[in-house]
Amino acid sequence: MLVHRRTKRGKLAITFVATAALAISALPAHAVNAYKVDGVSATTITLGITSPLTGAAAPGYNKVPYAMQAYFNYVNDNGGVNGRKIKLIIKDDAYNPVLAKSVTNDLVLQSKVFALVGSLGTAENEATTRFINDHNVPRLFINTGYSGFADATKYPTTYTVLPSYVMEAKIMGQYIKDNFAGKSVAIIYQDDDFGADALKGFAVAGTKFIAKIPYASGSQADPTVVGKWISGLAQAKPDVTIMFGVSSATAAALGGAYKAGFKTQWILGSVGGDGTTIATVAGPTAVGLLYGAIGASFLPAPTDTSDPYIAQFQAINTKYNAGASFDNNVLQGMNTAMLTVEALRAAGTNLTRASLLKAIAKSGSTFASAGFAPLGYSASSHVGYNGYWFGSYGPTGAIKPIGGTYTLYTTDSGSGAVTQTVSKRPAMPAKGLPNN
Amino acid sequence: MKTLLNLKRTAVLASAVLVITGLVSIPTASAAPLCDGKFPVQSCIGATSDGAPYVMQVPANFNGTVYLWSHGYRYNVDLPAALPGIGGYKITNTPEPGPVPGGDTSVIKYLLGKGFAVMGSGFARQGWNADSGVATDEELITTFESKFTNTTHVIAWGASLGGFITQTLAEKDAAALSAAGPLCVASPSVEAELQMAGDFLWGLKTFFDPSIKAGNYSAGAAGYAEAMGDLGKVFTVLGKLQANIASGAWPDTTPAAVHAVGLDQVPSRSALLLLGLMAGIPTQSAHFDSTTGPGSVNSSAYTSFAAAASPALAILENGATAAALAVLVTYDVEQQSGGAIFDNTKTDYATRVASEATVFNAALSGGTATAGLLGYLAQAPRAAANPTAVAKMRSLAQWTGKISVPTVAMTGVADPVTPAGDLTYMAQQYAKQWQAQHLATLGKGRPAYDLIALFGTTPAHYTTFDAKGAPITKTPAANGTNHCNFNVKQYIAVADLLAYASSTGHDMAGGKLYTTVRKMGGTTRDLQFAPALPKFYAAD
Repeated sequence: MLVHRRTKRGKLAITFVATAALAISALPAHAVNAYKVDGVSATTITLGITSPLTGAAAPGYNKVPYAMQAYFNYVNDNGGVNGRKIKLIIKDDAYNPVLAKSVTNDLVLQSKVFALVGSLGTAENEATTRFINDHNVPRLFINTGYSGFADATKYPTTYTVLPSYVMEAKIMGQYIKDNFAGKSVAIIYQDDDFGADALKGFAVAGTKFIAKIPYASGSQADPTVVGKWISGLAQAKPDVTIMFGVSSATAAALGGAYKAGFKTQWILGSVGGDGTTIATVAGPTAVGLLYGAIGASFLPAPTDTSDPYIAQFQAINTKYNAGASFDNNVLQGMNTAMLTVEALRAAGTNLTRASLLKAIAKSGSTFASAGFAPLGYSASSHVGYNGYWFGSYGPTGAIKPIGGTYTLYTTDSGSGAVTQTVSKRPAMPAKGLPNN
Repeated sequence: MKTLLNLKRTAVLASAVLVITGLVSIPTASAAPLCDGKFPVQSCIGATSDGAPYVMQVPANFNGTVYLWSHGYRYNVDLPAALPGIGGYKITNTPEPGPVPGGDTSVIKYLLGKGFAVMGSGFARQGWNADSGVATDEELITTFESKFTNTTHVIAWGASLGGFITQTLAEKDAAALSAAGPLCVASPSVEAELQMAGDFLWGLKTFFDPSIKAGNYSAGAAGYAEAMGDLGKVFTVLGKLQANIASGAWPDTTPAAVHAVGLDQVPSRSALLLLGLMAGIPTQSAHFDSTTGPGSVNSSAYTSFAAAASPALAILENGATAAALAVLVTYDVEQQSGGAIFDNTKTDYATRVASEATVFNAALSGGTATAGLLGYLAQAPRAAANPTAVAKMRSLAQWTGKISVPTVAMTGVADPVTPAGDLTYMAQQYAKQWQAQHLATLGKGRPAYDLIALFGTTPAHYTTFDAKGAPITKTPAANGTNHCNFNVKQYIAVADLLAYASSTGHDMAGGKLYTTVRKMGGTTRDLQFAPALPKFYAAD
């Protein structure tokens, strides 16, 4: 028989200094967040972002967080959000999901960020999903078009902003049907959820391919792999070739085709058509390879200074972003930051994670932004933009709308029709400062 | 990377031997301990009624508190010296009175210097011995208290299977203990513990060498021969996979069906990684972080190694341990249970890895390759268990996560044998218990929170490379990796936390705890930090 040795238990009246805090933190994470608001003080809102600042995917994407920071600093200099300044903590994930998980842990547990905004990459966001969900951290306006993130049950605190890749493919398929009827079509696509979404969308659109060339993410750095793409295309001889990958893959494909003397009408997915990124990856002369290609975007052309959003963002970029060249990445970053400010404003002074998510659900669809397509946020939808316009690339790598005007196509990620729409975006707030 | 598969260097199943000098023979079973009466620390030896040899070390200034250590899993069979990768092994029941990381006795000396006594046995039988281990520990407590009547507190602690025994003891005999420290605790049941290893072993057999028996071993000498044969085959095939990491070629023992369907066009490292993900083996190992590559951080070589090669190498390094565990523990528990115990007839591996397939898409060589590999596995013959044997296995000791004495638990986030998720499971179970307790005592103040769950974390980057860009695998295992890979500082910090809990009746909390953990280094006790549950419990 064992002897009862815990004689002091129950007799000691121990006062714990932090009894309340201990008790609260002992609760499961979802309960914890009802009691305290990490990342919010009387004067500051601390946000976090993970993005590739180093590594092969960094060129281009590494401009997004700094553009966001520039816009936040501009807002801070103009009074902040409900009296609070926004602090953005930027973490490098090198486009590596394991590192993304690690730095996201740091942002939430050590830096105590209130929310994550603009984090980039499908795999990187998926890698942190369980953690984000467990801790009920708002993950806003993520930079991936994977349609799966629209599942509000599986990703309850996640809001997308890019149109999904399914939408993009459906719209592209419709565009091809309207403009390249009877032409043969091939596709090079990233062999993951990105590409799977694309194939799903093209299937809905009824696009038939004479060649489908998948590649594993990252393998575009291997010249042998690129050589196989081009030989595959040369064999199939498509009139139209869709490049549905990241910009480094686009650069590799266009360069490989050029060297091999292979000609086709290139149509580039929105993710892979940024001229300045291609120039960074493949050298300044590579942008010339874009000439004549067709691309898609949901934001105005970065060079279109007649657009009030572009003009304002360019001015902010000049003053607050150390003169970084203004391109799609900077535009996307500033636009995301503007949406974030509007969401924070809508959540009110008594800011909590719950109030932030509720505010986006309630009024997110009315937020002013540079995007031509409407925002789909509602109580039942975490989906952002839903449409694209098409443009052609000039010799400098700049994209301009075909026909001189932005013709918008919208759709959903399901079987809904593709519709040609007149954009009715909200007017830009005075001086680019949200007033919602 | 010659040492990658050298299991001898891991702390997996091995136990350090503490040499007790001055005592010549162990007394007969259940006799009073034989003490040498030395000053300032006397050593006592003896054997419990079931024959487990034990050792007690008691300082002259004994303060009334004794630490009872339960050692981890030891092989219950001799291993032939000729076995590749794992080498020879002789069964031992040498008693261990405390942790001896890397042969360093500093932890024990530290405790003795503080006036604590330490004790531990070598257990009566080796292998999966939780039931007899708990009985041995119970008897050891009684024996110690009879010999040293000024004993006031007993702190139980142990690592791996010893952590399992500690937790089980704490749930069964809470009144006998003042604190408990289950470290790198094995899964709540042997069935759960074997799930990871079993899935991985089945995968190795299915993809790379169908001659691996992978369980359902025969009785007697024939079964021993089969298990030893499996060990040799497993380490041989892992060696081939290691040699082919760069080329992606499949081992020459790969079944013809793999070649027939063209799966061999997928790099073998991707197939290996998939097996690891299916089983829930960590994608960070002693030397591979899955985040670092050779050369410039902006080079494609850096990116591709970090994203594509490193996760597979981590699975290889961790998988060697998992596979050895699979063979030896499966053999052991099958002998105890009387038949096959691993069953994956209803396992949907595709669903199980749905999220990881997205996360590790690049390392898996893309969605098409992953679908092909999973499709092959879906069609492959499965392992069916013997229901009677399973029932018997389930009758073996299990822990539930009930906390009745202040508990300090610690594990590494990338432990390849006892997944960190086991501690998550314990914490989740206790959170429910605490909430129920809180609800039952509303208005009477919040109950104390008596589980400190400590996780050894991995650095963001730790893989190193030589001048030629080859990964270096001879450095010590990174913090948070390998099995029960704790240093002296961490053990001592846990011992101090246990002493505090033992003397006050509750776990340390607040700023004092925060400071203690921070000083440990490489450890987090954030209650919101929760590694994924093992695959046995969760689909993620």
